[in-house]
Amino acid sequence: MALGLLGTKVGMTQVYNDKDGLVEPVTVLQLGPCPVLQIRTADRDGYSAVQLGFKDKPRKNAIRAEQGHVASGLKSKRKDARLKGGVQLLEKADCEPQRFIREFRVDAPTVKVGEKLAVSDIFGSVKAVDVIGTSKGRGYQGVMRRHGFHGLPAAHGAKKVHRQAGSTSSLASNRGSGRPKKGLKRAGQYGNTRVTIRNLAVVRIDTENNLLLVRGAIPGHNGSYIIVRPTNKYGSTHGIVRDAGPAKNKVVLAKKGK
Amino acid sequence: MQNQLIAACEAKHAKSDIPHFQVGDTIIVHQKLLDGVKERLQTFEGDVIARSGAGARESITVRRLVQSEGVERIFPIHSPRIAKIEVKRAGMVRRAKLNYIRDRVGKATKIKPDPKRQVVLDAAVKVAAVETAMAAAIANKENNTTGESKRAAKRKLKAESTKK
Repeated sequence: MALGLLGTKVGMTQVYNDKDGLVEPVTVLQLGPCPVLQIRTADRDGYSAVQLGFKDKPRKNAIRAEQGHVASGLKSKRKDARLKGGVQLLEKADCEPQRFIREFRVDAPTVKVGEKLAVSDIFGSVKAVDVIGTSKGRGYQGVMRRHGFHGLPAAHGAKKVHRQAGSTSSLASNRGSGRPKKGLKRAGQYGNTRVTIRNLAVVRIDTENNLLLVRGAIPGHNGSYIIVRPTNKYGSTHGIVRDAGPAKNKVVLAKKGK
Repeated sequence: MQNQLIAACEAKHAKSDIPHFQVGDTIIVHQKLLDGVKERLQTFEGDVIARSGAGARESITVRRLVQSEGVERIFPIHSPRIAKIEVKRAGMVRRAKLNYIRDRVGKATKIKPDPKRQVVLDAAVKVAAVETAMAAAIANKENNTTGESKRAAKRKLKAESTKK
C-alpha cells in the first residue's frame, strides 16, 4: 500500500486539457497539508501504518484526548506517572488538534512524526488516484430507487402493489431452506456509506492552493472529507501501476510458417 | 456564490481577448484543427442563438443554414482550440435564447439588424485593419533595415550556397 492524503471535496468544474485543449470534467479536491501524527510499527502495534490528520480544530473545541494526541506539552497525572515508571512515551506531532484523522497502511514508512505532507509530496508523479468518500445519504428507500428494481406492473390487474420487489423467497438457489437467502436486496438505508472510486486520472496539481484535479465524479457532498491514495488498480489505464501484479505468462502466438 | 478554489482552477483558462457580442449577432469562429501533424484553421459562420455558462466555462451555440438545412455547433469560447472570434453583424433580438428560429423557415429565420451597434462594429473593424496595416509596415521596415531589395537578398543567398 502507498501513502495517500486526506482532504475535502471542493466541487466539480471543467478545465481545458493541456495536451490537446479538450474539455475535461474534473472534481477539485483540496488535500492537506497533512501532519503526520503517529507511525504505527509492527513491533508495537501489530501492523505498520502512517497516521495523518487534516484540518485544524480550535483547541477550545477539542477534547483533552484530542489535544494530548498531538501535543507533547499537555500536562497529565497519568503521563507523569508513566514517565516516573520509565515508560518511553510516543513522539508527538506538536500541531493543532486535527478534525479528520485516518491511517494508511504503509510497509516501510519514510515519513517522520510532525512532518507536514503537501499534495506535491505525495501526488507529484502520480497519474491516477483512488478516492474514498462517504456517499450522499438518501434515507430509507424502496427497492426501485435503492437497487434499480423494475417494480410490478402499473396495470394488468396489479392491486396496490406497483413499487414492490415481488416474491422474496423460493429462489431456486435457496429452495427448501424455508427462508429468504442472506443478502437479499430489500428496501432500507440508501447512501451515506463509504464508497471507493478507483483509477481516476489526475488532471492537474495546484501546489499553491493544495488542489488536486481528478477526472470524473467522486462520492459525497461538496466539503465532505475524503481519503485519496495513488491507485492500487492493477493495470491502470492511466499508466501507473503501484504494485507488481500477478506474474502473467506471456502468450506467444505461433506464427504460421509457409 | 462560486467557490474561490474552483474559480482559481478556472481562472487560468479565461481568455481576455474575446470580443463583445450578443445573442443574435452573426459571428465567425476560427477553430484550430489537427490535420494529421499540421494544424489548420476552420471557420464557422453563423448566428449566435444562445450563450450559456459563466467565466471560463462559457459556451455559445452558433446556427447557420447549410443547403437550407440548419446546422448548429456549440463552442466553448474560452477553449484553446478557438483561435479567434470575429463579430460580423449585430442583430437585434428580444430573447436570450433564440430557439424559436429552429422552427422558422425562409425569410422568417432572418434576424433584424441592429444599426446602432453595427456602426460601432464597423468602426472597430476599420481601426483593426489600420492597426494591422501599420504593424505590417513596421515589421516590413525592420526586415529591410539594410536597404536591400528582396531580389538582392535572394541573390546573395544563392551566391553563398554555391560557394559552399
